[in-house]
Parts: sequence; C-alpha cells; structure tokens
Amino acid sequence: MIDDVNGVAFGIFIFLFLVVTVLGFAAARWRRAKSMASLDEWGLGGRGFGTFIAWFLIGGDIYTAYTFIAVPATLYAGSAVGFFAVPYTIVVYPLIFLFLPRLWSVSHRHGYVTPADFVQGRYDSRALALVVALTGILATMPYIALQLVGMQVVLEVMGVGTDSDNWFVKDLPLFIAFVVLAAYTYSSGLRAPALIAFVKDTLIYIVILVAVFYIPGQIGGWDHIFSTVGDSFASFNSENADAIAAGEAAPKATMPPEALHWAYGSLALGSALALFMYPHSVTGVLSTRSRSVIRRNAALLPAYSFLLGLLALLGFVAIAAGVKVENPQQSVPQLFEEQFSPWFAGVAFAAIVIGALVPAAIMSIAAANLWTRNIYRAFINRNATHAQEAAQSKVASLLVKFGALIFVLALSKSFAINLQLLGGVWILQTLPAIVIGLYTRWMHRWALFAGWAVGMAWGTWLAYGVASPAQDHFGGPLVNFPGTETKVYIALVAFLANLVVAIVLTFVFRAMHLAEGVDQTRGQDYYADAGDPGVEDELEPTEAVRP
Amino acid sequence: MSDVPDGAGPSSTRRWALVYVLLTPAVVLPLWVSLYDREDPTFLGFPFYYWFQFALIVIAVSLTVPAYLLAKGADRADRQAHGLPPEPTGQQMQEGGEPR
Repeated sequence: MIDDVNGVAFGIFIFLFLVVTVLGFAAARWRRAKSMASLDEWGLGGRGFGTFIAWFLIGGDIYTAYTFIAVPATLYAGSAVGFFAVPYTIVVYPLIFLFLPRLWSVSHRHGYVTPADFVQGRYDSRALALVVALTGILATMPYIALQLVGMQVVLEVMGVGTDSDNWFVKDLPLFIAFVVLAAYTYSSGLRAPALIAFVKDTLIYIVILVAVFYIPGQIGGWDHIFSTVGDSFASFNSENADAIAAGEAAPKATMPPEALHWAYGSLALGSALALFMYPHSVTGVLSTRSRSVIRRNAALLPAYSFLLGLLALLGFVAIAAGVKVENPQQSVPQLFEEQFSPWFAGVAFAAIVIGALVPAAIMSIAAANLWTRNIYRAFINRNATHAQEAAQSKVASLLVKFGALIFVLALSKSFAINLQLLGGVWILQTLPAIVIGLYTRWMHRWALFAGWAVGMAWGTWLAYGVASPAQDHFGGPLVNFPGTETKVYIALVAFLANLVVAIVLTFVFRAMHLAEGVDQTRGQDYYADAGDPGVEDELEPTEAVRP
Repeated sequence: MSDVPDGAGPSSTRRWALVYVLLTPAVVLPLWVSLYDREDPTFLGFPFYYWFQFALIVIAVSLTVPAYLLAKGADRADRQAHGLPPEPTGQQMQEGGEPR
C-alpha cells in the first residue's frame, strides 16, 4: 500500500495528526459548560470566545487549506489575477469592522444562531429565511468538499494511498481522517476546531515563515525568483503564441494587464462581500464574547493576509526551484518535499491537512445549524427544545460531511471546484437581506426575495456560459459587464441585478401596501453588548431551556 | 418598530464620519489596480506590484486601529441615544477575564 513514502515525514505527520485528534475529543471538556445540549454550546462554543481564541478560530475559518493550496497554484500556473486573494483579504476587514458588530448585537439579544435566524426575525418571512438558509447550505457543501481536495493533494504528494481502482479503497487514508474529524466534531462541537486551530495556525505560521526565508536563499533570492518566473512565462507565451491568439490557451503573466484591472478589483471586492455571508464565518463571529472582540480582530486578522501573500508567492518559488508537476495544486507540497528535510516536510504536510480539518469542522457545524434552526425548527418541529436542536445539528453535521466526502471521492473534483465557484456567486445574493437589514427595514421582504431569485438565476446562467480552454461551462469567474468589453466577477454582476430588482420592487410593493410582517427587533438591539439585559440570558443557555 | 432610529446625536455622527474617512482608503486602494500595476521600484527583489500590496496590509491595519478607538466612543454615544447605558451594566463583561 505504501511504497515510496518517506518514513520520517510520514511518522511526524501521523504523530501530529494524533495530537490533534486527542485535542479534538478533549475539547468537549475545555471551558466546560453545564450542558452541551444546546446550539449555543455545541454550535457556538458557549458564545464566550475572547479576542485571542477568536483570532485563531476566525483565521482558521477564512484561510483554509484549500486557500493555501489553490492560491499558490494559480500563481504557479501563471494566472494574472491569482494574487487577488491578497487585496480581497485586505478589503474584507473594514467591511467586517462596520457591519458585523451590529449582527453580533442583534443576534445575542434574540438568540439568533444563523444569519437566516436574523432574516426571519427582522422580516417575519419564513420564505426569505428559508432561501437564505438553503443558499448557505448549498454554498457551504462544495466548500467542505474543497477542503478534502486540499487534503487529497497533500496525501498524493506524500505518496500515501493505494493503487486500487476502487475509489473507496484508493482514498482510504482520506476516509479515515474524515471519520476521525466527524467523530470529534460530533462530540465537541465548535470547541473542537477552536482548540485545534491553535495547533494548526502555529504550525502553518512556522512552516510558511521558514519556507519564505529559507527556500529563496537556497535558490538565489527573490530577485532571481522573479526574473526566472518572468522568463519562464515569456517563453511559454512565445511558444504558445498561436494557441493564445486562437483562445485555446491563456497567456501567463505575473501581474494583471490593463484589460484585467476590473477583473482583479471586482474579484477582490465580490469575494470580500461574499465572505461574511458564508454561514461558517457568521458562526465564527457569533461565537465571540463581546462586540469589541470582532472589531479588535478586524485589526489583528490581517496578519493572516500577510501570510497568505507570502504563501501565494511560493507558487513562483516553485517555478524558480524547478518543481514540475502536472497538477499546479501539487506545486507547493512538492516544493516542500524537495526543499525541506523529511521531518520538516512532515510538519508542513501535517499543517496543511490539519488546516483542512478546522474549516471543514466549522463549515459542517454552520451548515448543520442552518438545517436545524431554519428548516427543522421552522418547518418540521416548531416546538423543538434546545436539546432536540443540538441533537439534530450533531446528526446533520455528520450527514453534511459525508455528503461532501462522497462528493469528492465518487464524483469529479472539477465538479466540486465548479460548485465552489457558483457558491461564491450564490452566497453574495443573500447580502441585501442580511446587511441592508442590519441598517434599515426599508426593503420589502418580497422584494428581497425577488431580488435573490433574479441574482441566483442570472448568476448561475452567466457562470454556465463561461467557457475555458479546459471546459465548456463554468470555465471561470469572469464575464463581460453587460454592454461593455470589460471583464468583471460574475457574483458582482448578479448582485447588482439583485439590488436593482429589490429596490424597484420595494417601491412597487410599498405602493401596493403589501403586508410587511412584524419586525421582532428594536433599534437598541443593534447596539447591545455583553452585560446588557437580554444578552446575559444568552450567555447562560442552560437556564433558558424552553418547555 | 421599523427603521433603526437615527437619533444618535451629532457627536456620534461626526465620529462615524471619521471612521469612514479612515477606513475608505483600506477598501479603495487595494481595488485601484492601476495605482500599483508596475515593476519599479523594486524592494528586496520584490516588484512594486507585490510589495505595495503587502504594504497595503500594514496601511489598512494602521488605519483600523484609530478607527477602533473612535468607534468605541461612537458606540457609547449610540448606546445612550438608543436608551442603553453607555457601558453594559451586567456582571458578565469583565475585560480580559473568562466569561463564566
């Protein structure tokens, strides 16, 4: 089963994986609550995480293993817009700074666990809350699947796996890793990824800092790296000039040409706006102790952006170091294997795989919370107790994870990547209902619903129509902005349509005096902080079990 | 109750305006690609395009810190304007300590 695996690297890898597994199960006892049988405890870790823990947890949530594999891969492959991940993770923090404290306050006042809970409370519309929840689940599933893709890439480079043609036997190591993950998420809830995130991020920081200071020195410095990459791309472009002219291959570049400036900026902005609509980000934010934890983290989390930028450049380092791989996603793991001594390569591989476990756990918890709160409790069992909710979420988290696993193993990887692309387009369509709702209730609930529907349908249609040299549909995230030749991110185009429809229909529905529903929230709810009346109750969930 | 009332008072409005002024460059500069789309001047071997984006991270952080301090005061004014005490009164909120 295992032939060309380096024993030392593999031994270190297994050791670190075991450490994390023990931590995952032990997490149930960490910051122990009177009872884990409520979503505030299982699904939000007791809503008591301070600045320090939140930094690790949210950092582990945003900067996933897939990011760490995929972003350098785009640079390795010479994609001119690949580096947009850096401006994206700069732009996102001022946005977080401004609107998430309001979401925190209103959610703590009313015991909201998911973004769809807020939409239900604010707009009194089960239909709108349902579509927000479904969009969240739909967008999260492929994201979990991609974490598996990231793990798979590392396992492949390590040489772990079998030659069997049977998909189940072939990916047995991945399967085992996932069963372990599922088991401790089930028992410890959000505490497990929060505790594991410490290990994950410490390892990732060490590995990346060593990589960016050590490897470039070995191969001739950054000057040399950038000039080698420039030469390599220039020779690729001249060798493939005919194919590029015919649109069968994409030219390689180290920075976006003039024509792609809007593409670069719109990808950064669209992704930043979408990020905090993802249920797992909201879960991370709602698990914090007070409003100011979020704002402090908006100033502290950019440390990860620095790391991400350095990591992205490892794609160039791999080119200069002469790493040759068919699948660009293997470039960075391969670079580690070639440049590091075996024991440190083992640490690096463990860091990436553990880096996949943390977000996969948080995402499955977030998706499970959506299922429980906005489908199970809203439509199936309207009088669910806290204990019943927690039980539902635990089972749902298992189903979500195994769904993602089957997805990656039995279906194709490119299908998961296409869906992830669509996920970004879809999740942005929930922004008007959530973010605008945090500031004003002027928007009509049915107008928001219609805007969502238009954005989803048009965004999907646009993405379907994008061809690339490799595939006929879902070939990339960019389309020409309607009426122009300028390429922009699909999600933003669909979002603008969504917004226009929502605004126009709000005027229409208001003129028709269509019922608006009753708003549960009050003005002061958006400013409440830990220690205010009503917020206290949420911090002691064991006393607030409904009959 | 429908819209969030806008009676936060002038001091909070002015503070929020300053917060927006501070945070706007952190959003606009990274998106303004033609500003940094060049090779020179290089720094430690990095083309301008790359090191400037790293510098933007530092710039964004150094704008967020004063924005945080301003927002703290603005929040206090907003809380009062919405019928809450300027600081939460409960026992839970003990800075730095464990919540329970």
